[in-house]
Amino acid sequence: MKVVELLESRRRHWKTLEQMIDRLQSRRRKRLPPDDLVKFADLYRAACADLALADAYQLPPSTTQYLHRLVGRAHNQLYRSHKFDFRLWGKILLHDVPQSIFRDRCVQLAFCLFWGVFIASGVLAHQQALWPDYAQQMLTEPVISQLESNFSEPLSGRDPNADLAMAGFYIRHNTSIGLKCFVGGLLVIPGLFITVFNAAHLGAAFGYMARPEVTEGQNFFQFVTAHGPFELTAIVLSAGAGLRLGVAWLAPGRWGRMASLRRTAREAMPLMGAAMCMFFLAALIEAFVSPSGLPYWFKALVAIFSSGVLMFYFVVLGLPGGPSRATG
Amino acid sequence: MSTALNQLDTTIQVVTPENIAFDYRVAGPFRRLPAFLLDLAIRIAAFLLIVFIINFFTGAGGGGLAVAVILIGWFVSEWFYGGLFEAYWNGQTPGKRIMGLRVLTTDGQPINGLQAVMRNVFRTADMYPMLSLQILGDVPPAYIFPTFFVGLAVMACNRRFQRVGDLVCGTLVVIEEKPWLTGVAKVEDPRTAQLAELLPADFRVSRSMARTLSSYAERRHYFTPARRREIAGHLGEPLVRRFGLPADTSYDLLLCALYYRTFISDRPEESPRREVPRPHDLAAESNASKGSDP
Repeated sequence: MKVVELLESRRRHWKTLEQMIDRLQSRRRKRLPPDDLVKFADLYRAACADLALADAYQLPPSTTQYLHRLVGRAHNQLYRSHKFDFRLWGKILLHDVPQSIFRDRCVQLAFCLFWGVFIASGVLAHQQALWPDYAQQMLTEPVISQLESNFSEPLSGRDPNADLAMAGFYIRHNTSIGLKCFVGGLLVIPGLFITVFNAAHLGAAFGYMARPEVTEGQNFFQFVTAHGPFELTAIVLSAGAGLRLGVAWLAPGRWGRMASLRRTAREAMPLMGAAMCMFFLAALIEAFVSPSGLPYWFKALVAIFSSGVLMFYFVVLGLPGGPSRATG
Repeated sequence: MSTALNQLDTTIQVVTPENIAFDYRVAGPFRRLPAFLLDLAIRIAAFLLIVFIINFFTGAGGGGLAVAVILIGWFVSEWFYGGLFEAYWNGQTPGKRIMGLRVLTTDGQPINGLQAVMRNVFRTADMYPMLSLQILGDVPPAYIFPTFFVGLAVMACNRRFQRVGDLVCGTLVVIEEKPWLTGVAKVEDPRTAQLAELLPADFRVSRSMARTLSSYAERRHYFTPARRREIAGHLGEPLVRRFGLPADTSYDLLLCALYYRTFISDRPEESPRREVPRPHDLAAESNASKGSDP
């Protein structure tokens, strides 16, 4: 058969396939009727066959190129992206994540790093004898004066409107820091920097506020008690998940660097998801419980309760085979 | 396509479940940057629109709920805009759709939701190092700009133009354009058909020569006659000697005639019934097929 005749006989099919792709791509009519779907699959397979035989048919290169693109577009309409499988999320968050955290050296390392720097910075800011200007250098004067002015009044509750707005602010601000910590961990240095800087900054603020001569300290500690456990754990978890990514390509072990990174990232992302849930809970507590005029014992109770939840999450759910052993 | 060309071109080959291999063109930074900027513009415009609408309904100051919705909306669009769109729009964001791009896995298969979200969250890693305007003078530390150096450097270092986010999730961005079917190149010169009849009937055009001929016929319009002669000479000169044609035969015409015989008129070895082509009918047919092109 002549190439011209061959092209002429196929052109109709290719054009129909193109029109179907266009229809599938426009958002309004996402679904084709079943007959058309069968036809689409047939036309796609026919186009694939034409492409496979392009060399034997001696098709011109421009037509071959056309077929490559046509088959590519049809392929992308036939095989579509997988959406989120929300049913799996519960299992991942409640089973897989605690299990992997429990034996995760990187999270433990991040935990030690964060709390080590935090405590060291707190001690330095508290004990003026060791490094007299430490708190001023670390926090800078404007931050100190702002901290003092923020906590000069005893906590008596804000108007509920401001609480709502602040909840939005905390969710955005804190979760962003966590995500940056996580992503920065991939490049190692930014991740470590963000972790250490946050630890040192927070530690210095805590240490400074704990000084006996700082009168605002009492209000400060009343404020931070309730949401502290969730928020600080979430930061540590983000840093640990990020650190794991960095270690994955720096010390890949028996894997190729890229393969190791891809594999670890699939496991680390759910960890970050758990951290984001914690940031969310912390933001709600920070917005509605912490600034309220509720008595201190209640806030302490919230802190103890949230610590208990975290303990349950990490230890009971995380113990290898823990929940399954409990249920038999 | 030969391996040498494959190494030079930015294409990847995908083998489908139908066991067909086809090529994709990989998108480079100069096509992806406009898509990113478009997405950024769309995000900011949508954000401003929402702020305007909320303020319109709740009064200028806005209630606490309005502020919370705006802040959370900004957070979600900052980190998950691309991920959500790519998961639900089959690997495309509005910007990518306008620029004709699509995200696929490195195997050419569709991405899943986790990959879509991750490759967008990890864009932050591509943005490093951050540039603070404080190095220029005394400005508040709030003005920090991403330089995208890490992303560009990583893209330049691999053959599939993957940025850090793509490497982490095993994805890549391909160009997906609407193709144009051009069909067989037109041969206008009436002498072509005459010359085609003079060619020996037992001469078989090999597959690689057929490819060369059609590449030449498709592109010869872009060259001046002198340049055509120079290019066609490489193949035309030995063919003139082999066919015993007069030495002053135009090489360009000879290649066109050979092309005409191979692609447009009957190939004698496959249909011996119509050994002598009827040039006028065939020329009319080939023109008609050109005419029906879009």
